[in-house]
Amino acid sequence: MERRELLKMIALATGGALIGGELFFSGCKSAGGAVTFTPETIAFLDEVAETIIPATSTPGAKAAQVGEFMKVYVTDCYDADDQKVFLEGVNKLNDACNKMHGHDFMKAPAEHRKALLTALDKEAKAVQDQRSKAYSEYEKAERAKGSNLPIMDFKNPVAPHYFTLMKQLTLLGFFTSKTGATETLRHIQVPGKYDGALPYKKGDKAWADSI
Amino acid sequence: MPGDSLNININSKGVQQNSFDAIVIGSGISGGWAAKELCDHGLKTLVLERGKDVKHLKDYPTAIKDPWDFAHRGRMPLADEKENPVANRCYAYGEATQHFFVKDNEHPYIQEKPFDWIRGYQVGGKSLLWARATQRWSRFDFEGPARDGFAIDWPIRYEDIAPWYSHTEIFAGISGNKDGLETLPDGEFLPAWELNCVEKDIQQKINAQYKDRRAITGRCAHLTRPNPIHLQQGRGQCQARTLCERGCPFGGYFSSNSSTLPWAEKTGNLTLRPDSVVHSIIYNEQKGKATGVRVIDAHTKQVTEYFAKIIFVNAACLNSNLILLNSTSNRFPNGLGNDSGLLGKYICFHNYRGSITASVEGFEDKYYYGRKPTGVMLPNFRNVYRQETDFLRGYTVHFSAGRGRASVKNGAAEIGAGYKDAICEPGGWGVYMMMQGETIPKEANHVRLSKDKKDDWGIPQLITSVDYDENDEKVLKDFFEQGKEMLEKAACKNIVLNDSKQAPGLDIHEMGGVRMGKDAKTSLLNKWNQFHTCSNVFVTDGACMVSTATQNPSLTFMALTARAANHAVEELKKGNI
Repeated sequence: MERRELLKMIALATGGALIGGELFFSGCKSAGGAVTFTPETIAFLDEVAETIIPATSTPGAKAAQVGEFMKVYVTDCYDADDQKVFLEGVNKLNDACNKMHGHDFMKAPAEHRKALLTALDKEAKAVQDQRSKAYSEYEKAERAKGSNLPIMDFKNPVAPHYFTLMKQLTLLGFFTSKTGATETLRHIQVPGKYDGALPYKKGDKAWADSI
Repeated sequence: MPGDSLNININSKGVQQNSFDAIVIGSGISGGWAAKELCDHGLKTLVLERGKDVKHLKDYPTAIKDPWDFAHRGRMPLADEKENPVANRCYAYGEATQHFFVKDNEHPYIQEKPFDWIRGYQVGGKSLLWARATQRWSRFDFEGPARDGFAIDWPIRYEDIAPWYSHTEIFAGISGNKDGLETLPDGEFLPAWELNCVEKDIQQKINAQYKDRRAITGRCAHLTRPNPIHLQQGRGQCQARTLCERGCPFGGYFSSNSSTLPWAEKTGNLTLRPDSVVHSIIYNEQKGKATGVRVIDAHTKQVTEYFAKIIFVNAACLNSNLILLNSTSNRFPNGLGNDSGLLGKYICFHNYRGSITASVEGFEDKYYYGRKPTGVMLPNFRNVYRQETDFLRGYTVHFSAGRGRASVKNGAAEIGAGYKDAICEPGGWGVYMMMQGETIPKEANHVRLSKDKKDDWGIPQLITSVDYDENDEKVLKDFFEQGKEMLEKAACKNIVLNDSKQAPGLDIHEMGGVRMGKDAKTSLLNKWNQFHTCSNVFVTDGACMVSTATQNPSLTFMALTARAANHAVEELKKGNI
């Protein structure tokens, strides 16, 4: 699968394009500053990611060090606003866990974590719907003004939900990691040939994403 | 006289030491061919490249890296996107390839109208980065401007270039089927790639329902089964990785680096000078021809003059225009050979704005193995035999199919083990279709030199003034209508049209500005790519094009270059230049 397909899958799974990945909108972004990810934050993010993509018969997101990947990606590829949303999201997610289950996320059993993130996923998708709507309206207004140029300077007035960011980076980080690509998916760097009608049976894993 | 200021610090090595039989400006796809042909004929040839050296295999630092070897998994950091918005808009630019692209801030230009100028300043130029689709033009393409009354008549016809298509195809290695189409002549092919089952299904459905259209396997510069001539070049079979833009460790696709330049080097006749920024071509009034090239060292900024009997300009379309506009003399105050005032004008490109996505039901028991570098293409089917639409010319259609990822059934949690299992399996099949539209060259679409802004080497910056026109909008609309209809007839669902509204340039198919023609009043080059008024200078990259046709252009640049180089050798032997 091409990187384009992976990004499309992430967009479908989270109801919107990869945040920070909207190349055409890079014109107005203020560069993200240095951000602090403590070892505790990375451990927390590993657990969030592991809840989304748990170890099953194959390793999960924690084994793929997705928390560490999030740190690198948020630091280098997010603008200051998205960085803020992401980092504040750590506390917000924990607060939401306390509200739903009466204890911190790190102390919550797997079932509580899953229930919480399932609820947050729905909440985040509703926000993504609003963001899509805001973009459509902006685009429509631009076109009504007669503009026939790509839209490059759009800053969505609706901030993304922190869980959208965390889920997107979990999927991106996991499927492009060594363990995700080679142990969960099928990764072949040098295929050597092409076969356009390979028999497929349900349960066979997808090819890993080439970037 | 313009250029005089350079004489102050000129490096006055002996003229003899700096003299060659031929100078080739640029080492990309056409410059590499000029070098190969001239060296093969025994000419001592100097190839000037403004960028760094890139040796095949040795200088492909990312060629065998895996996705997890890249800190941001392919994506460039935000700081780079902010600094280089143009480069970042190119589909091939990313962590694995960025070292082969020009950064916006290093080489500024002035966009009078939005123009995404994608450049590769290194030995091999963009031949490392190209999309490798290779199609011959047909007679309809060369006859187009005269028939439809735009631009000027091409001074050559298909028959003039056909042997040179063969010449370049045999050496470069082009895969494809002999499809027997008048609109896309067959070539000297290596075995074609296999299409996947969904591509074949759509292909068959289109071909069965349209008498005027033929969907065929894409033709591309990949060695599906190397011949001895390719093994001699040190190249091997394409391994279906499609990590091509990093440079291929197998030499599976054609590039100057893997093919023409090392071949030229083996003759012993090649001198390759990287880091050599060409300032201008030196014109000698007494001799009535060009005598050499002024070069600025990219790092030391030292100026050196090199001399030769013939000069090939292959700096890539817009940079060839720039160098020629900057090559001023008493005889040519407005740029070399520019008596007509047309130098830099009639810039054209390909209209890539439209794409269509759709889904395909079924075929769930089929997948594919490997990554093939091509898909399906439909040669232009609009206005081929006669004018029949409300727009001029037409477009090529490319499409490919693949499986995305599965998801959970409606309502199930998109979190946890069940979700993971679901999204690790391939999902339904999808189709991606795109257009490659001919654009009509116009005088208003031009490039010129800035009067006040210069680059770090003291060379005037280029101003781009290139835009779409009403014809392009109509072509786009027709592609949407026809593309949608074809996909519907092929039983595709969820058809979505997308107008990227991308600026010209992002197609990376810029052409024109130094066009060929029969008449010095309306063109700059003759039918052999020689200046009408300075016959020892040849321009054989995209700059020489009269019109764009709908084909991917590189193969035609290669064939024109080989043809012109062989003509130049003959003319030298006869003492005509």
